[in-house]
Amino acid sequence: SAQNGLRSLRPPRSRRPRRNLIKEGRKRDTGHRTAPLRLLLQATNSGDSTTSPPSSPPSPTTAMSRRGDWVYENNGGTCVAIAGADYCVVAADTRLSVGYNILTREHSKICELADKCVIASSGFQGDIKALQKNLAARELLYQHQHNKRMSCPAMAQLLSNTLYYKRFFPYYAFNVLGGLDSEGKGCVYSYDAVGSYERTGYSAQGSGSTLIMPVLDNQLKSPSPLLVPARDAVTPLSESEAVDLVKDVFASATERDIYTVCFPLSVPRDHRLLLFIHLPLY
Amino acid sequence: MVGKNCFAIASDRRLGVQLQTVATDFQRVFKIHGKLYIGLSGLATDAQTLYQRLAFKHKLYQLREERDMKPETFASLVSALLYEKRFGPYFCQPIIAGLGEKDQPFICTMDCIGAKELAKDFVVSGTASESLYGACESMYKPDMEPEELFETISQALLSSVDRDCLSGWGGYVLIVTPTEVQERVLKGRMD
Repeated sequence: SAQNGLRSLRPPRSRRPRRNLIKEGRKRDTGHRTAPLRLLLQATNSGDSTTSPPSSPPSPTTAMSRRGDWVYENNGGTCVAIAGADYCVVAADTRLSVGYNILTREHSKICELADKCVIASSGFQGDIKALQKNLAARELLYQHQHNKRMSCPAMAQLLSNTLYYKRFFPYYAFNVLGGLDSEGKGCVYSYDAVGSYERTGYSAQGSGSTLIMPVLDNQLKSPSPLLVPARDAVTPLSESEAVDLVKDVFASATERDIYTVCFPLSVPRDHRLLLFIHLPLY
Repeated sequence: MVGKNCFAIASDRRLGVQLQTVATDFQRVFKIHGKLYIGLSGLATDAQTLYQRLAFKHKLYQLREERDMKPETFASLVSALLYEKRFGPYFCQPIIAGLGEKDQPFICTMDCIGAKELAKDFVVSGTASESLYGACESMYKPDMEPEELFETISQALLSSVDRDCLSGWGGYVLIVTPTEVQERVLKGRMD
């Protein structure tokens, strides 16, 4: 009959028993349809979300608060750099997280921009990838125009200008630039999110920075930058002692900071004067 | 911080109202009895009131029981006292340190509504607590003698408060062993 014919055209019903969702009290996820409203409500609240730990991003611009959208995210991580007489140690942990979840354990936050210049960044990895790509491209242009690679102080200034260029919609990146200056001495430059920078003897940025900085202060007593005549900020420690210190501070930060982890492995040597330490979690 | 049959409790000396420093000799560590001390960080008025109430309760306990309170018991007392004010709390984070039975060191800290956290090595509280966690974690090792413990806790305290603008103006360290109590005042960065 016609009815049977129609029935045969319909797709077969699933054999599993249908469950009454309302009776079981399960809420259906209407995620994507209500996302804009949720984001708007979140933006009008203090910014604290129950699904992620409170982070402290830079304040949004007028354009962003008009849209009521939150465009940043804190992926955590800690970066440390120590400058010595003829070396510079730059270290970063390798965990990438969102809220209380771990996205990957093997993400490097370090980028080698020039042969004597290395940047380590923590914060929002989307912005960090864009920033590092930007800097690498500018360095390549410099190479082609000047027939030499960029020096660390030059890269430091470039990074500062790049960050300030986006003063009113910043890169959510907390950077530490490390390398060797033109005399071969170690240099470390430490930045905030909008490009204010200073050459120091050591620096820590990121979620574990408040845990690590006092220990570095204590171990690498650095002279005040206000002293006249200006004293060298580089540490007199040897390279292996500095590497041990970095491993120790990462171990301490790991104990108390959920976004920082390390499991010290053997250190791979990439360059005679520059040492990368990637400290992956296992 | 816990050492070998001894403990040390330390605090900074600044009292301030946001950016204004009001006093540079403020006492934050209070004695309950010879082997029990409590450090109270946070709102100064609540610290003083809380200490007065606890001293009162301990004196009554001494009269009734004819002995001093054990640190574990005292910690429970503080926790209960804070939780009584669950919906209008004292804005203080106490640190309790004492020598218990057989002179075993006991330390614990609480949040402002009385959640106890016992530790075997060190406890921290206050505005510079993150820095203190990092410094103590790096510098602590178990079973330190009183002299070494004093060095360690002083260095950890001074390095950490130097990174916090609301703490500082020197330090005050108490080392308590079964036989004696040493008080020392540290001179750090006065700013």
